[in-house]
This record gives sequence, C-alpha cells and structure tokens, in this order.
Amino acid sequence: MKSASIAPQRPRLAIFSRVSAAVFGGYLLTSACIVFLSYIIPIRTAEAVLTATLLSFALYTGAVIWVFAAPTAGRAWAGMLLPTVALGLASLGFYLATGSAA
Amino acid sequence: MKNTFRQSMSWLHTWGSLWFAWILFAVFFTGTLGVFDDAISHWMRDPLAVTAASEGAPPPDRLQAARVGQAFLEKNAPRAEFWSMGLPDEENTKLRVFWRDNPQAEFQDRELDPVTGEDAGPSKERKTEGGHHFVHMHFEFHAGDAGIWLVGVAAMVMLVALVSGIVVHKKIFVDFFTFRPGKGQRSWLDSHNALSVLTLPFQFMIVYTGVVAFASIYMPAAAMVRYHGDLDHFFADIQERPAPRQMQNVAAPVMPLPGLVTAAENRIGREARFISVSHPGDASASARIFMRGDEAEMASRLRGSNGSVQFDAVSGEILDTEMPGEIRGAGAFSTFQSMRALHFVTFGGYTIKWLYFICGMAGAAMLATGAILFMVKRRKKPAGEFGASTARVYRVIDALNVSGIAGLMLASVGYFWINRLVPVALPEREVWEVGLFFALWFLTLVHASLRPVMRGWVEQLGATAFLCLALPLINMLTTGDNFVAALARGDGEAAGVELTAMACGLLCIAAARFVRRKSQQAPQAARARAGKPDAAADADVEAEAA
Repeated sequence: MKSASIAPQRPRLAIFSRVSAAVFGGYLLTSACIVFLSYIIPIRTAEAVLTATLLSFALYTGAVIWVFAAPTAGRAWAGMLLPTVALGLASLGFYLATGSAA
Repeated sequence: MKNTFRQSMSWLHTWGSLWFAWILFAVFFTGTLGVFDDAISHWMRDPLAVTAASEGAPPPDRLQAARVGQAFLEKNAPRAEFWSMGLPDEENTKLRVFWRDNPQAEFQDRELDPVTGEDAGPSKERKTEGGHHFVHMHFEFHAGDAGIWLVGVAAMVMLVALVSGIVVHKKIFVDFFTFRPGKGQRSWLDSHNALSVLTLPFQFMIVYTGVVAFASIYMPAAAMVRYHGDLDHFFADIQERPAPRQMQNVAAPVMPLPGLVTAAENRIGREARFISVSHPGDASASARIFMRGDEAEMASRLRGSNGSVQFDAVSGEILDTEMPGEIRGAGAFSTFQSMRALHFVTFGGYTIKWLYFICGMAGAAMLATGAILFMVKRRKKPAGEFGASTARVYRVIDALNVSGIAGLMLASVGYFWINRLVPVALPEREVWEVGLFFALWFLTLVHASLRPVMRGWVEQLGATAFLCLALPLINMLTTGDNFVAALARGDGEAAGVELTAMACGLLCIAAARFVRRKSQQAPQAARARAGKPDAAADADVEAEAA
C-alpha cells in the first residue's frame, strides 16, 4: 500500500503527471504568486519585486511538497493551475489599473 | 492521513534525491573547494615563478592598462552593448577585457599585457583557471546556461529533499545524539541523519542563498512584468542608481578612460579595480568605475558598497557617486546583499571560510551517505523497482555512486597534478587543464563500470589518497616548491593547499580501508537476488530508523 498514494493504477503515467505538475505547474504557480505579491506588498516597486522574488523559492518548495502530498495527480494539477489562473487574473487587473512600471 | 503524508514524503525524499545525488554531490564538493579558490589559484600559478617574474618589475600601472584596454576594445568592438575591464594588481598581473556586441551575441573575454596591450598568448607564466575551475563547476559545470539551469533544478530538488527529509524524520532531536557504529545499514542511516541534522541550518542557507544569487535568471517573472521586460532598469532601480540610458544610435567616441579612472580615484580615495562601459560608441554611453575593497573592512560586514563612480562616458560628467560603506536601497535589497555575502563568504576571513569548508564537506558527505545507503539497503534486500532490469539498474547506480563520489574526488586532486604536468608553454593550457579534468572523471566512470563495486570503491579511494599525499612531491619535482619552503617564506596559502590535500589523503586511506574490511566481511547471502519484487522494501527510511 505504500506507494499507492503516489501511484494508483498506472504508476508510470501517474508519477510522470505528478512530477510535471510539481516542476511546471509549481513554477507557473510560483511565478503568478510573486507577480501578484509584487503588486500588493505596499513598498517601493523595486523592493516589492525583490521581496516577492526572494520568497519565490520557498513558495516553489511548498508547492512541490503539496503536489506530492495531494491524494491524486488530478488534484495536484488542479491545485497548481486554479490558483495560478486566479492570481494571474488579479495581477492582470492591477496591471491594467496601474498601467506603467515603477 | 499523517502516516500517508510521511510515506509520500519518504518516497519523494528517496527518489527525488537519488537521481540528483551525484549532481548535488559534485555541486557541494566543488563549491566547497571553491571556498578556497584564491588559495588554490595562488598555488596553481606557481608562487615561485610569479615572484621571480615580478621581481624588479614596476607595480601595475592602472592608467596605462586602461589606455591599452580601451585601444583594444575600440579596435575589436567599436559599437558594443558593453565593455568591461579588470585592471591588473599584484596577484593578477594581466589586464582582462570583456565585451558583448549586442544582447544576442556571445560574451567575449581576453587577457592582455597591461603595458603593451598585446594578446597575452602563451607565456612563461602558468596560465590556469586555478580555483575558479571549481567555482564554475559548482554553478554551471562549464556548460553555460544549460549548466546553470541544471544546477538550479538540482538545487530545488535539494530544498525539497531537505523539507521532505525533516518530515520523514520523526525523532529529529533524538537522532542528533544517535550513532550506532558497526551495524551496517543502520550505521549508514545514522551517519546520514547525524550529518544532515547537525548541519541542516547550513545546508538550507547555502542552497537557498545559492538559488537567490541567480534569482534574475531562475525567477524573473515579477521583475519582467513590473519593468516591462527591462531587467537592467530593475537592477538600477533596486540599487538606487541612475536608470539605464536608451541607445540613441548616434555615434560618439568614449572619452579617454584613464582620465575617468583618475577622477574616480581622486573622488573616492581608493584604487580602481574594474571599469564597465555601457553602449560604448553611442551618444548614450556611460561608464562606471569600481574601487578595490578594503579586505579588513569587507570581512567585517555583509553589505555596503566598496565605492564606485558613474560618468557620462562622452562628456565626462559625473552621474552618480557611491562612497565606500554606503548602503543603498531598503530592506529587501539589504536582505539580498546579505544573502549573497552569506553564499560567497565575503565576510569573516579564514575562520568563517574553514567553517564553510567543514559544513560544505559535511553536506557532500550527507549526499554521499544518502546515495550509498540506497544501495546498501538494496544489496541486502533487492526491491525490484525496475522489474526485470532491476539488477542492471542497480549496477548502473553502483557505478555512478563510485565515479560520482570517489571518482570526482580523484579527478579533483588529479586537476592539481594536471596543473603541474601540462607544459607551461602549451597554447590554451588552461583549457587543456579543465578538459583533462573531465577526461579523468570520465575514466573513473569507465573504471567503475568494469570493476566489481567494492573493488571500484577501494581502488578509486586509494588512488585519490595517493594523489593527495604525493601532491607536495610532484610540486617539488616540477616547480621546486613545497609546503615546507612555502611555510619558511611565510606563504601560508600555498602551504595550506598541500597540507589540506594531505589531510584529505589520510581520510581517503581510512575510507578505503573501511570499504575493504566491509567487503571482506560481507556474507555471500548479500549478493543481489535481483528482480524479486518486495513491497516491504519500498523506500521507507523511517521504518528502518524505528
């Protein structure tokens, strides 16, 4: 039963899917997260960008851990992509509202 | 649920780590040697020859060097994205010039004679990458962008392995004091745990600050979005320096740089070290002159400038002055600078360097014991994870363990021998040195694939020990120098390299003897009965520890 939670019926496909969710899904989520954070951290733009970027690797690590703890690969993908879309849309709103850099 | 989470983490820890263990071992091992890159470079340039060559020679003339460097660059790259120049000093007597024609072109660099401006070419000096070879190896494997990304991925795997390793580890404080020697697999697990737990804060720090140092490559999203793809603008903004100037596509000559060097030196009161000119040949050109840091002062702080002055490179007008010790930016930039300083060990002098050396080697040992533990466990009880090809995959993992761990150590000390044995006059000898290092490393893989596993370990560790212990001998035979003479003339750097190598040699002898004793004791029953699936042997480190 040990590897059951990682690999149900088709182990190779499930593992491949989960690794992809961790590497690519996690990277997308992290990127969306730090863009969003750079808008909402209430300090100078450059400092907010750097603060978010410094945090990014911790966020990425957390995302990867979460992907491998999720009950199924499908849930893992959903957990990466849905927040990415939400944060991306929020950032788009900020982008359109402010328009320019710095 | 808690149990399942731990099992998932155990799976992730074992398999994630395994495939990256050899890359990470190489990153840790060469990065740790890189802590002493200056001392290694000093030894490799052959201190006796450098002293003999510089005797009676005038001290390096920075203004003349700037003059000939500018003439060279104006001829070879009249309109470039940037030029830069590393000015000569007592240790690095050559003038180094760098440029890139445009952001898509390749980065160029040359070493020039600082007086005549001639391409240095083959010389009496022992041209070498020195300790930089190890530094480059640890962040890009001499493979450019591909290498940087490979190391980045490996570093993320390491962060995940550290976190999942802690989750797997129920009794983290008890294991801190647990070591059960002479118990085979359990001893390997104990040593893996003890090494990891003791040095955990260091491992987190060094990996995290390492990826942060390359954050603009690995995680550019926020800066790219907020600065519309112009990262240079972001860099200027975060350092509170003038924004980069737009290319005007109007030809304009760069002012004579020696004049700017003198102006900058007078303003700051320190010697110039480095010149960087952006958009040379264009009306938008600007030049920044960086000053040499005061070593005692740098050792006592994590952040702050060494002093620099930025000029309009066409008119000579001063655009920005940063005084030594000045702190720009706010909390985030200070955090970033401190993290960089923590990674590059620019503070604290030799005490901290030795602390890093020991912790870094402990990190390398943690990776090595983890990779060995994987196979020790499976040699006892094959888990059949790879179906019919399990035995073959185990054999490959064994060979990679031998050449990834012992073989890399062999090639690293071999690099010191190569430095002494490659003829001084050979053109591009510094390229040969690095090439031969990789050739030697590859040979250890061939050797590890051909020899029985335990013999492979013993032979490669033994060869490493021999090369370490005999390093002073080959030095004496090739250059006439040795650590006793170096100590006598007060050259602690050169002596330290050989003494440290000999200490490592003794450790390798101990390791080789240990493996030989183990392999003689190993019962026949331990021979791999491959291909037999065994669910209970699934990678569950915790079950073993309990």
